[in-house]
Amino acid sequence: MGGFIWLMRKPDPNIRIAVTGVGIICSIGRNKDEVWRSIRESRAGISKLTRFPGETFPTDMAAEVAGELQLPISRREAKRMSRTDLLAVIAAKEAIDQANEHSPLRLERAVVSTGTSTGGLLEGEDYYFRRVVRGRDRAPASRVLQQPTSGPSDAIARVFRVGGGVISNATACASAGAAIGMAVDYLRSRHADVAIAGGSDALCRLTYSGFNVLQAVDPAPCAPFSAERKGITLGEGAAYLVVERWNDAVARGATILAEIAGYGASCDAHHPTAPHDEGRGAEAAMRVALDGGDVDYINAHGTGTLLNDSAETKAIVAAVGSGTPVSSSKSYFGHTLGASGAVEAAITVMSLIHQLAPPTLRLDVAASDCTLDYIAHTPRPMAMNSALSNTFGFGGANVSLLFRRVV
Amino acid sequence: MSRIAISGIGIIAPDAIGLDAFRALLASGRTAGSPAMVRDFKARDFINPMKMRRMNNLSRFGVAAAKLALADAGVDPGRNTGVALGTAFGPVQTSVDYMREYVEKGAALAPPQLFAESVANAPGSHIAIESDFRGFNVTITQRESSALAAAMYAAAQVMKGSVDAALTGGVEEASEMTLSVLERLGALSRTAARPFDAKRDGMSLGEGGAVLLLQPRAAKSYAFISGFGMARDTTASISDWGDDHGAIVTAMRAAIDDAEIALSDVDAIYASANGSVRGDAVEGRAIEELFGDRIPPVVATKGIFGEYAAGGALQFVAATLAVDEQSLHATAGFESGTFGFTPNRERRECRLRHVLVNSVSAGGGVVCAVLSKEAT
Repeated sequence: MGGFIWLMRKPDPNIRIAVTGVGIICSIGRNKDEVWRSIRESRAGISKLTRFPGETFPTDMAAEVAGELQLPISRREAKRMSRTDLLAVIAAKEAIDQANEHSPLRLERAVVSTGTSTGGLLEGEDYYFRRVVRGRDRAPASRVLQQPTSGPSDAIARVFRVGGGVISNATACASAGAAIGMAVDYLRSRHADVAIAGGSDALCRLTYSGFNVLQAVDPAPCAPFSAERKGITLGEGAAYLVVERWNDAVARGATILAEIAGYGASCDAHHPTAPHDEGRGAEAAMRVALDGGDVDYINAHGTGTLLNDSAETKAIVAAVGSGTPVSSSKSYFGHTLGASGAVEAAITVMSLIHQLAPPTLRLDVAASDCTLDYIAHTPRPMAMNSALSNTFGFGGANVSLLFRRVV
Repeated sequence: MSRIAISGIGIIAPDAIGLDAFRALLASGRTAGSPAMVRDFKARDFINPMKMRRMNNLSRFGVAAAKLALADAGVDPGRNTGVALGTAFGPVQTSVDYMREYVEKGAALAPPQLFAESVANAPGSHIAIESDFRGFNVTITQRESSALAAAMYAAAQVMKGSVDAALTGGVEEASEMTLSVLERLGALSRTAARPFDAKRDGMSLGEGGAVLLLQPRAAKSYAFISGFGMARDTTASISDWGDDHGAIVTAMRAAIDDAEIALSDVDAIYASANGSVRGDAVEGRAIEELFGDRIPPVVATKGIFGEYAAGGALQFVAATLAVDEQSLHATAGFESGTFGFTPNRERRECRLRHVLVNSVSAGGGVVCAVLSKEAT
């Protein structure tokens, strides 16, 4: 610890934050390259639900991560982790490998910051079915060890021997956005030197059924902002960013992929599940993230529900006007719930790198309450210096992250 | 750098509703048992019955504790107030209730109300809705460290000025499912938690909620938050404590440095110790190493009200009250130990300029905080 300056615990807004690694896994790809190829080719990853055979739901679309997971850890180690943990470890590995490419990250001073809404709920359900429903008293409790939503952070920290700290939040669908924002503040207050920040969520019965009973699921693949939209498509996935103070990243010779130029967090204080009609919290979060500046592209929360897309449109009009191009990548890989803030932050960073804004698929006719410049069907090549990623959740939690291109 | 004022406290604890009752519980040094259950809480004393029906236990604990904190502070912090709550397990009972309906009635007919309340951030959301608080709203779920990590985030936001004030704290419920899993894993004491005791045999799960109001400055304040530090033990598995006490030493030192004080300015330690064999051992060794032959009084409070996010928040409140009253609490459940220090065994007056608060969680995460008597 010799020579270390520990002071300045107030998050210093003048400290610039660099993204030096990105990792992602979702229904359209198991890594950045696969995901970006799907984005370019306008190829969605939505099909019939296969995960819970024998159980029937009112709708049957899902954006699943198909096939067996390619794990960077031993099977023995993996057995102690939930599916949400495993998705997290896969995405974090890709991000850390990229950040490590030219010089090693100081993981002993890194913090893992994860947002997840379900954690190991899937395994908790399995335990519940075995013990309560089938009355098997010998159901292994160790399977529920993973149930706390701290699982993904603890798993990543364990696998990569992270020594700076672990933090998890379960702020519904805004979780991963909050996790990335939190990481920015830890770096700016010098409570950590590196952050592995993101989110993860696996499909589970409770959320699949729950959004159905709320009548918030589209029976067809979701079509955000469209006149035909009827709700979300449930998805799963994980994404992590490696973030560092800009000067540290430069000093160690890392390749900087993008800058996190701002983040805003707010609450609608309106309703336990529905957004505020005018999107007042969303507007506030975007205003704080932008801090008076402008933005070239908005990767919207765009869930495909009647309420969200209308409220978010109003919030965007109020915060930045109606000229900025907008799209929802959820039309590719569904709503990855607690992971969505990270998965879509990763997409936003890639959009800036490739100067290509992803479209909203299946958006044939925009709804009358959706009045923005929506990019539809195919990606739009455009000059972007900055892009905003919106993430909202139950309870009216809103997070907006502003990314800037590196030139 | 000015410190953050703790200007209001609300308590829903095992055997103590409200701050006065909690002061009395702490003074009694009584062990609440295992699990430490909230028994005499009537949500309708705090929440409109119409709204109450839409809230699960966890939300009721949180909303009631928040109302008590705001009433205690006697101020309206205004709309630009944030909320950062901790909960280790979240509303497990609500998920179980939902799954029961799912099994009995089918996936399409389970009640939407239960689904809405199954998210871990339901308590924080209800608090915001009740008081029209539109600042950040986040729910931290980092096992035993949930409440202290939530306070760390809330304090940073108040300091940075993204909000005018923040509510922080923790909520937990002792659901049958959580208890049965913890019991099968051998984490729970058969009798009561005995922190740092040689014969300790596990923790006790503590129920309830504690909420604190944080402001940049306040007319009345109990204590000031002056620093945080965090680290992680890389020898820890994903669900147990490790054996390397170095991470706890690092986090304690980081919090002390963050508060811009010296080691010798720490007048007491409110320890994380919860009666678990491994967790208490690694924390005890860290205290021995960092403070050497000048270990200040060590107080472990979780023998009184149990562990997890309510416990962590109540421990933070206990330390806050110690600074306010300039008086140490007794360590309930301790009889004899093998560490290089004996936890404080009786309530006694003590000059407390700065108190270190530890939170050491399974999985290796450590968060430490410093509470100070003076604003600068």
